[in-house]
Amino acid sequence: MSNKSFKNIIKEGIRDSFIIWKEEFRNVIHDAGVIIFFIVAPFAYPLLYCFIYDNEVAKEVCMVVVDDCNTPQSREFSRLCDATRDVRIVGKASNMEEAKHMLREKKAYGIMMIPSDFSKKIVRDEKTYVVLYSDMSSLLYYKAFLVTLTDVSLEMGKDIQIERMAGLSNREQEVLTAPIEYEDVTYFNPQNGFASFLIPAVLILVIQQTMLMGIALLSGAAKDKNTYRDLLPIQRHYRGTFRIVFGKSLCYLMIYSVVAVYLLWCVPIIFSLPQMGDGFAILELIFPFLLSCIFFSLTIVSFVRDRESSFVIFIFMSLILLFLSGISWPASVVPWYWKSISYLFPSTFGIQGFIKMNTMGATLNQVSFEYTALWIQTFFYFIGAFLVFRWQIIRSEKIYRKNKHV
Amino acid sequence: MVVIFRKKLWYRVWLLCIREARILASRPLYLFGMIIAPLFTALFFLTLMGKGLPQDLPIAVVDNDNSAVSRRVVRQLDAFKQTKVAMKYANFQDARRAMQEGYVYAIFYIPDNFEKDVMASRQPKFSFYMNNSYLIAGSLLYRDLRTISVLGSAAVAKEFKTARGQTEDQAMTELQPIGVDTHLIGNPLTNYSVYLCNLIIPGVYNIVIMLLTIYALGNELKRNTSRVLLRMSNNKMFVALFAKMFPHTLIYCSVITLIDVILYKFMQFPCALGIGSMLAASYSLIIASQSLAIFLFGLLPIMRLSLSAASLISVVSLSISGFTFPVSEMHYVLQCWSNFFPLRHFFLLYVDQALNGLGFEYTWHIYLALALFLFLPLVVMKSIKRVYLTYKYIP
Repeated sequence: MSNKSFKNIIKEGIRDSFIIWKEEFRNVIHDAGVIIFFIVAPFAYPLLYCFIYDNEVAKEVCMVVVDDCNTPQSREFSRLCDATRDVRIVGKASNMEEAKHMLREKKAYGIMMIPSDFSKKIVRDEKTYVVLYSDMSSLLYYKAFLVTLTDVSLEMGKDIQIERMAGLSNREQEVLTAPIEYEDVTYFNPQNGFASFLIPAVLILVIQQTMLMGIALLSGAAKDKNTYRDLLPIQRHYRGTFRIVFGKSLCYLMIYSVVAVYLLWCVPIIFSLPQMGDGFAILELIFPFLLSCIFFSLTIVSFVRDRESSFVIFIFMSLILLFLSGISWPASVVPWYWKSISYLFPSTFGIQGFIKMNTMGATLNQVSFEYTALWIQTFFYFIGAFLVFRWQIIRSEKIYRKNKHV
Repeated sequence: MVVIFRKKLWYRVWLLCIREARILASRPLYLFGMIIAPLFTALFFLTLMGKGLPQDLPIAVVDNDNSAVSRRVVRQLDAFKQTKVAMKYANFQDARRAMQEGYVYAIFYIPDNFEKDVMASRQPKFSFYMNNSYLIAGSLLYRDLRTISVLGSAAVAKEFKTARGQTEDQAMTELQPIGVDTHLIGNPLTNYSVYLCNLIIPGVYNIVIMLLTIYALGNELKRNTSRVLLRMSNNKMFVALFAKMFPHTLIYCSVITLIDVILYKFMQFPCALGIGSMLAASYSLIIASQSLAIFLFGLLPIMRLSLSAASLISVVSLSISGFTFPVSEMHYVLQCWSNFFPLRHFFLLYVDQALNGLGFEYTWHIYLALALFLFLPLVVMKSIKRVYLTYKYIP
């Protein structure tokens, strides 16, 4: 007898779950706001961001030269600068005032001043300098100028050294100018690009934040619609907590499986962002990420009073979460208190895990910390969601009974 | 007659402001958005980037030589401010794995027989590998690793040259005949905190302001009080809007004043023209953001849709204003489009006023651009009025 009723409960539970799933799916489709966040934003955002960061690096940054020396050597120096990828010489100014004027009018972002004794000092075997003034409105400008000027000065310096070593063999000259050579190799983002660095993190954050906003809108709509301003309609199917959580989650998981494949697999292909990892292994990481996002959203959304408030609160959080994830600001220098707060959000582990696997080609084994953390979050936020809905059911039943008495 | 009318008008405005102040006090969301959120943002970013430049970034060293010379190089590298030799590996594979797992941001590789090769003039080679998935860490470490390589090479060259009978001075000038003397205009320390906080904090506030403005306008519909608002303003939409927004503007301006005082007085961030210029820029940003938000609400008078639109647009403003990636490097379409974001103009003002120290004769057109945003609400005034009079809230 008891065995049969247990079986019935299971059967009924599964049926109710699917009814709730269907109901939730209908809610999603009929709410334009939710569609914006579940479908339109995840589709459009990556396109827009890739478009913004499309150039990856600052190329041909404009620089003006003040050449007080005006010798073949000084002109060669500016020619060599102009020949690099990063810097373009837009003109020569006759004095600093004129150059500054060009800077003010944004015709150039940096000034290179070659002092009048530039060549003289080279001939005299003294150390000479070129002077760089850089506009600091973007660090990328500064980086382009500094790297170029340093490279050119080293290159010309080497030639000058060799000239001075007349009487030595070629090999001796070579060794004396560079007794130790060096090479630098950039891994995982060889062009030092901005898109390759930022977009993968944004993609993961888009998943979490749009899901959060969408679910907040749905719960807000439910609260507005239902008789007693509750999360749940009073209906036969909405009795069991587990079936509600299960049914709703299934609906979100279904939608976001598609969204995640588009964001994390198609977008990197379309914009040729780094994509080194094994697709199925990444999927294995993303599964607990989606689950923890869903339960996380279900849990914290219930604390927000109306859906309009959720806009302010959650959008405000987005940028802070991006910085907490340890991508733009290195995780090793994030203070311990912010780091512990960052562990509360699925995005922290999602971003780190995804970048390690997708951009850096790590295996699932190598991101076991993030992987485990996501499952732990899934577990705790599931309990959170469960408790929240349990509380809601008890509350709505109480109100219902009270009203019935009246 | 005219005097009485004027008195009446200001009296209405006064009543409306009082009404709005009551609404602001009654909803905790306003307290959160107007005061707590911006102050929290300031606290967060200022403490996160406390030192301005990340220090002691972990790197791995693969020292296959393990001689006195190679160990000295590693010790010197460790002494650099931004580099910390966190791990030493016996082979490159392990170091690469550690980099993949995110424990280190770079690898410094010293080959076999390094010391011997130096002595024998066989030009051994240092190799260094940066993980540029973490762009800031990678770029900073590149600088240190390159410096140590150049310095190491120079130290050896100096020995060789002094052995050939040159004086130390001669040897030193010969090593680097041309140097680069850099001057950074306005931010001499390349401090990331200065670079980002000045814009991120107003940037986040700008997002919140746009959302709260729409929220305030939409709530009149949701609570069904829009007709009361219009009746109180004698059916004058302009008066209603002005009086409704004025208390908001006052609060935003006082909060941003506090933030600017924290940034430029307390934290001593560089500000060439003084704090007054940045206050003027901040106030203009606030009013322009409010106007843009009113405009969006006029276009899409359904609150949750205009909120969605505003949130999508305002989040983009952080990227398109150009302080992470310069606008001059973006596509031409985006360069034009960036002008429609108040934050873009605020960024330009910040660069000219705080960093470059340019006065009003160079910045007036930026202020003019921000002032143009003020006309946006006029465009939608009529449609907001129509909606306020006829619309019935559907949940």
